[in-house]
Amino acid sequence: MYIPEELLYDKNNYWVKVMGEEVLIGLTEYGQSTTGDILYLELVPEDTVLPRGEQFGSIESGKWVGQLTAPVSGVVVERNRDIEASPRQVNAHPYEQGWLVRVKLIDPGELESLMGAADYTRWVEEQIRLDEEDEVAL
Amino acid sequence: MSKPWRLLDTGIRPIAENMALDQVILTARSQDQVPDTLRFLQFSPHCVTVGYHQDIDLEVEQEYCRQHGIEINRRITGGGNLYLDAGQLGWEIFAVKGLPGIPQRLEELYGRICEGVVRGLYKLGVKARFRPKNDIEVNGRKISGSGGTEAGNAFLYHGTLLTDFDVDTMLRCLKLPVQKLEDKQVRSFKQRVTCLKEVLGYVPAMSTVKNALAQGIAEELGVELKPGLLTDYESRLLQQKELPRFRSEAWIRGQRVGCQDSRLSTADYKAPGGLIRVSILLDNTRDIIKSVFISGDFFAYPRRSIMDLEAALKNTSSRATELDFTIRNFFDNHQVEIPGITPEDFYHALRRAILQASRDGVEAM
Repeated sequence: MYIPEELLYDKNNYWVKVMGEEVLIGLTEYGQSTTGDILYLELVPEDTVLPRGEQFGSIESGKWVGQLTAPVSGVVVERNRDIEASPRQVNAHPYEQGWLVRVKLIDPGELESLMGAADYTRWVEEQIRLDEEDEVAL
Repeated sequence: MSKPWRLLDTGIRPIAENMALDQVILTARSQDQVPDTLRFLQFSPHCVTVGYHQDIDLEVEQEYCRQHGIEINRRITGGGNLYLDAGQLGWEIFAVKGLPGIPQRLEELYGRICEGVVRGLYKLGVKARFRPKNDIEVNGRKISGSGGTEAGNAFLYHGTLLTDFDVDTMLRCLKLPVQKLEDKQVRSFKQRVTCLKEVLGYVPAMSTVKNALAQGIAEELGVELKPGLLTDYESRLLQQKELPRFRSEAWIRGQRVGCQDSRLSTADYKAPGGLIRVSILLDNTRDIIKSVFISGDFFAYPRRSIMDLEAALKNTSSRATELDFTIRNFFDNHQVEIPGITPEDFYHALRRAILQASRDGVEAM
């Protein structure tokens, strides 16, 4: 499972790349793997104000409509229109072409609550272990 | 022992109410206002629903629906277009994520819940099985589809079980890959679905079906069910907020994702073992096979394998490399014998239909 060292993460499996006052947000490789092949993806328009934890779009795979929830508060500066047309880019290149939105931060202090790569790796390993336990119980 | 689940039967309602209740109960569950719930629902008048992201213009024969009093609405869950009448029983699970026995991974979650429905069908004498990703089938023929969504830490997963089915009306009100086919192929297409009436030779009482499914789901998930009603909170949310929204044109016809299309094409491919006819609905903008119907004069063993191949191709990429992978993967993992026809022949037949759809730009409208 590839988890880039330089990014920040939350427990909803988003990565956050800090670029000065702005951040780029995407789904992690683990996040997209739990979702499966993405069929539709819809993102909120530019200038939308996103409180942390609020929905910034929807994502459909295997007849499941999931919510995209903001890992930090901000204003959407740009949404990735290419992935609305080719949502499988999120599966294929989650850290590159598959980024979701670029956001101007409202409260940079929120970044401190995100995990670094080492903590996120441990958290993912724990989720995989719990999933495996579930499978054994089935 | 975990808390009992609510067993909720909301009876027969119009589609807008049923769709609004999906949102209401999911919201109430995510706010911890109600317990985990198994809901049964039925539909009248007859109706069509489309998936959350679908475009009604591309999926529904709206003029036919208007002429025949078929209501149209949109689900909050994913998946394709559906025709629903009194012969369908809806089953729905509202629960919080992370419950013991409910897996995190979506594909495992689908399987676990559908196994509960399968267990219920066995109690009725129906040897059903789960077919990934979302179907329940009997001898390869679909008897229940399913889909889901989430809000906060809660999720909804639901499906409709065919007890009886008016397949002719379905073929007229939905845009399906059969519009250019001859009667023989349409008859073959009808074999893709079945219902309790066909399997058992009669339609069991709806109360019997509900009891069997409730028992099957409760046993599979290891939960206790306690009959209950909609709460005052849910009834208020329905009447004051969600029902007006789900009756609005903005909800029903609002376009969800701009960049999608739907093109229908049919192509024949002559292989040594016989003719393969492929009828395909293609989203050419996004290179996705929406659905495919394969017929011809070849012999496949087991017979269900072509239906399984169609299910494996649904909503997959139409690009050459990925199509090749999907077909090879299918034949590598299924014991299929088709004298005189190879996986490559299916690849060429499908590519021919895909290229024709791309070239024609003939929209299925």
